[in-house]
Amino acid sequence: MSRIELQGVRKRFGATAALDGVDVEAKDGELLVVVGPSGCGKSTLLRCIAGLEAVDEGTIRIGDRDVTNVKPAARNVSMVFQSYALFPHLTVRENIAFGLVVREEPKAVVRERVAEASKLVGAEPFLDRRPYELSGGERQRVALARALVRRPEAYLLDEPLSNLDAGTRVEMRTEIRRLHREVGSTMVHVTHDQVEAMTIGDRVVVLDAGRVRQVGTPDEVYSRPTDLFVARFLGTPAINVLTPQEARAFFAIPEGTVLGVRPEQVRLDGDGVPSRVELVEVAGSDAYVFLDRGLVARVATDARPAEGAEVRARFDREAAHLFDEATGRRIQP
Amino acid sequence: MTERRQLALMLAPYLFGIAALVAIPAVVTFGLAFTQYDLLRSPEFVGLENFRELARDDIFATALKNSLVFAAIAVPLRLGAALGLALLLHRRYTGVGGYRSSAALPTVIPDIAYGLVWLWLFNPLYGPINLLLRWQGDSPTTTAWGVQPPQWLTHPNDARAAIIIMSLFTIGEGFVILLVTRQGLPSELYELAALEDATAWGIFRRITLPLMTPILLLLFARDTIFSLQWTFVPALVVTEGGPPQFSTTYVPLFVYRNAFEYLRYGYAASATLLMFVLTALIVWLQWRIVRRWRKGFAVG
Repeated sequence: MSRIELQGVRKRFGATAALDGVDVEAKDGELLVVVGPSGCGKSTLLRCIAGLEAVDEGTIRIGDRDVTNVKPAARNVSMVFQSYALFPHLTVRENIAFGLVVREEPKAVVRERVAEASKLVGAEPFLDRRPYELSGGERQRVALARALVRRPEAYLLDEPLSNLDAGTRVEMRTEIRRLHREVGSTMVHVTHDQVEAMTIGDRVVVLDAGRVRQVGTPDEVYSRPTDLFVARFLGTPAINVLTPQEARAFFAIPEGTVLGVRPEQVRLDGDGVPSRVELVEVAGSDAYVFLDRGLVARVATDARPAEGAEVRARFDREAAHLFDEATGRRIQP
Repeated sequence: MTERRQLALMLAPYLFGIAALVAIPAVVTFGLAFTQYDLLRSPEFVGLENFRELARDDIFATALKNSLVFAAIAVPLRLGAALGLALLLHRRYTGVGGYRSSAALPTVIPDIAYGLVWLWLFNPLYGPINLLLRWQGDSPTTTAWGVQPPQWLTHPNDARAAIIIMSLFTIGEGFVILLVTRQGLPSELYELAALEDATAWGIFRRITLPLMTPILLLLFARDTIFSLQWTFVPALVVTEGGPPQFSTTYVPLFVYRNAFEYLRYGYAASATLLMFVLTALIVWLQWRIVRRWRKGFAVG
C-alpha cells in the first residue's frame, strides 16, 4: 500500500498561506499530477509530503502510516527536483548509488540496483560521466534513476521537465509515463504546464492560491471544469468567456452568468453569426483565429481563413459551459 | 573615448599603485640582495656573498625554522577554524549576525592594537588567560589540575604557542569566503541527503567538503603565503623575538632587524628574496600535490 493522503493541510509562510486546507489523495499506484500557476503552493505541497516542510495543520498519511511529524528519511519517498540536484563531484554511477551508499547497503546490492535503475531510464551509456558532461534530458534520466534505485513507497516529482527544451520535454513526458507503468508505484508529479498535466496524469489536481479547485481525470477537468479558474487555466488558447451581451448573438443566457466555450468547439463553417477575422496565429497543425466578437477559434491550419475575411462563427449549446459571474462556479449542466 | 582607452584610464590608479608600492620596491629589493648597503654609503655589489652568509647564519636558520613550523601548524588550524565557524554560522537564526561579526572582527583590528591586547591577555601574572587557568588551583601558581599554567612570554615553546593562538583569531577573510561558499551550495543537495537519511558526518564528508574543496585549496595556498608574513607584528610587539634568544624570531622580524636596527639593507634584501623564492616553491609544491586530488572534486 503506498496511498498518499492529505487531510486539511495548512502551511503558512509569514502572512502568506501557501496551503489553505488541502485535501488530496493519490491512490495506490496512481500517477497524480498537481498543476497550477506559479506560487499556487504546488511545490510546497510536495515538500510537505516529503517532510522538507513541516505543516501547520492537518495530517499526511503514506500507506497506513501517519507521517505528519515523521522525519523525511523515514517517510520512504524519493524526490526528483526541478534542478535535478545531481552532485557535481560524483559520476552518474555514484549519483545514482548515493541513497544506497549512505544507507550502507552491501556493494553487490548497490551494483545490481544501479545497473537495474540505469537500464530502466536508459542511463547506461553515460554511467562514468559527470553531470556537467550531460545534456538536460540525460541529467533528468539520472535524477529519475537515483529516485528509482531505492525502490521507495512513492515518488515525488517537482517540475522535473520545466528546465528541458520543448522536444526533450515531450520525450521525457513519455518516459515518465512508461516508467510509472513499469514501476507501478504511486507518483505525485507537480507542474505548471497544463499540457504535461493532461498528458501524463491518471488524475489531475488543479491548485490555486493554496486551495484545491478540482480533482479529476484529465478529461473531466478539461471537459467539465468546476469553475472559471479551472476552465481558463486548462486549454490553449484559453477558453472563450462571453458575457450575456456578447453571447446574445449565439444563445441567450441569464443575467449574472457567463458562457464559456473552448476554441476548438467554435466552427467557422455553415450558417453561424457573421464575424470578421482580426488575426490568425499558426501553431503547427492548428491555427488560432481571433474574431471581432471576442471569440477565438481553433481550426486546422489548412482550413484557416485569411485575416480580414468575413466568416460565420457558431458552436453547439451542448459544448458550452455556464458559470456564475460572481462566484465563478459552474452552473449545471 | 574608445572602450580600450576607458579601461586603461580606470585601471591606471591601480596599476600606478601596484607599480609604486609593490613592483618597483620588489625590483629594488631584488637588486639590493646582491649588494652591501647601509643607507650612508652607496650600495656596493658583493655578488652572492649575502646568500653565503645567510647559509652560515644560525639566527636566520632559527628564524626560517620558526616560520616554517608556524605555517605548518597555523595554516591547518586557521583553515579548520574558519571552516568550522562558516558551517556553524551559515544558517539564519536570531543573533547570527552578531556571531558572524565577532568571528570577522579581530581581522580588522590594527595589528599593533591586536598585539597589545594579547600582550595583556598572555601576561603570566595578571593576564586573564592565566588567571582563568589558575582559578580553583591548589596554590596561587598552579591550575586546578595541579600543573603550572603556560609561561606565555618567558618559555620558548609557550611563546611559540602564543603566537599560533593569536593567529587563530585573525581568520575573518577566510571565514567570510567560506561562509559565502557554503551559502552558495544548492539547498536541494542537502534536502536530497535528508531524504536519503545521510548523517551529519556523511553530509559533511560526501557533500559539503568535496563541494567546498576548490575554495579550500585556494585558501590553503593563500593562507600559507599569509602565515609566512603575519608573524612580524606579534613577534615584535608581544614576544620581541624571544624568549630567551630568538625562539619567536621569524623571517619577517629577522629582515626588519637587519634592515632597520643593524642597517644591513643588502643582507635583509637577500633574506627577503630567499623567503619569496621559498614561499613560491611551497605554494607550487602544494598546488602540484593537490592537483590530482582536486581533479576528483571537479565541479565543471
